Amino acid sequence: MSAVQLLLFWMSFAAYAAEAVLRLVGASRATGGKTPLFAGALLHAGFLGMRWGIEGHAPMAGLFESLTVYSFCCAVAGLLLLGNAETESAWKPMSVLVLLPQAAAALLDKRLVPLSPELSTPWFASHVGFSLLGYGFFTAGLALGGVYLLRGGEPVYRAAGKSALYGFTAFSGGMLCGGIWAYYAWGSYWIWTPKEIGSAIVWVYFAALTHLKFLPSQTGWPGWTKRVEMGATAAGYAVVLLVFPGVSLLLRSSHSF
Amino acid sequence: MPRPEAYPSLGRRILHRVWGFLASIETCAWLSLAFCLAGAAGSVTMGRYPGLFGDMDAGAFADWFARKGFLDPAPTSWLYGLLLATALLAANTACCTADRLVRLFRGAFPARRLLPHVMHAAFLCVLLACLAGSLYGDRIPGVSVPRGMFAPVGGTGWVLRLDRFEGGPPLPGYPMGPAASVTLFRDTTPLARGVVRANAPLFHAGYGIYLKKYGTTRWGVPYAVFDVNRDPAAPAALAAALLFTAANLLYLIPSRRSDA
Repeated sequence: MSAVQLLLFWMSFAAYAAEAVLRLVGASRATGGKTPLFAGALLHAGFLGMRWGIEGHAPMAGLFESLTVYSFCCAVAGLLLLGNAETESAWKPMSVLVLLPQAAAALLDKRLVPLSPELSTPWFASHVGFSLLGYGFFTAGLALGGVYLLRGGEPVYRAAGKSALYGFTAFSGGMLCGGIWAYYAWGSYWIWTPKEIGSAIVWVYFAALTHLKFLPSQTGWPGWTKRVEMGATAAGYAVVLLVFPGVSLLLRSSHSF
Repeated sequence: MPRPEAYPSLGRRILHRVWGFLASIETCAWLSLAFCLAGAAGSVTMGRYPGLFGDMDAGAFADWFARKGFLDPAPTSWLYGLLLATALLAANTACCTADRLVRLFRGAFPARRLLPHVMHAAFLCVLLACLAGSLYGDRIPGVSVPRGMFAPVGGTGWVLRLDRFEGGPPLPGYPMGPAASVTLFRDTTPLARGVVRANAPLFHAGYGIYLKKYGTTRWGVPYAVFDVNRDPAAPAALAAALLFTAANLLYLIPSRRSDA
């Protein structure tokens, strides 16, 4: 059983790699269900489901599981937002962004890990799952925002707007679940640590981003044009990187169990 | 001859400009950026000054701020920035919603356009709940009790007894971890009794009793350390957060048909 789930992991990795290579060499222009990415996401879902069953808890504990779930969320966000031919140009960067965390996970120890008592609660899966789904949409925002800055295009602009809105919604759900969990675990839904402050930064950043489209275009600096909005959408990925792996790995965190 | 209202007084003009500034989405963008920068500075600074920031969660935030908020202005400057940005964002949110609602109610409008303002109102309620919790909350950290002994619980007039402690390793598949059976007394009258473990505090009269640490004394007796917290505004914060989530989800439904 354990070997089968690892086989599914490697097959999904191979599918994501195939998608990225085909895009980079310009050999594929397919979208949606006709892509290796779609097949990879199905295999990936099978891997995660099987691992969940074997471990008896959501496979989101430890760096390996966090990275592979993040990769899966990126794939889901890509498939949801880049489902038509008009946004096909964003598939190239998106395929690489899906592959990168899965490749990083492939280098890590993949042994099954028991869950510590602190994490043994339904709030764990909901908090981490929604947060990573939000990160997946924000990552799609990098691909879409970058493509808009390079080539423009109204469908790409609309899809990038959705990436911020859907990501914000998922991340807010993660914050809500995390707040409830923190209240039961620590006695407060808010504590003053770099991770909590970082989460608030991500939330405020993307909350503001969802407002930018309502600003009328202006002349002069900063102009509040669609290009500024798309630049901020793409830059949101850096904010996510600073908070998701950055704070957890570099600073002492309340999320180290 | 121009009408008098064509030349509004200086006061009205200033008020108009202040209102325009506070209700503006552009202000929201800049304040959000200020919040992010102050927060990023704080994330780095907190670890460098553990003596200053290490006990921020040991009591209600207002108590900590009164004790240490003005001790050393340089390392705490990020906190002033963060609090100021948050306060101005709250004012910005309130003014924006008031401004837009007046315009919305003057004409026919789809109900969906109200949803962002429901989210604004819920966001403000969460901030107010945080403020109330910071001012009127109570945190009693480090109530240490050996098994079979009693310990006073801060200024509540209560006494906590650790009846039993099971601190063995969790069973495979049942990762419940350590469990502390406790009884809460006022004088000799038991008020509440229960088992405290990770993610499962004991609640009584608005206070939660949380297991924080455990170990064995030098005489071989197990002991447990508890935090006892009360946040009177937590239910309000939860209700507001649920309202925010509901409005956010409803906002997505039409956006799937007609773009975000």
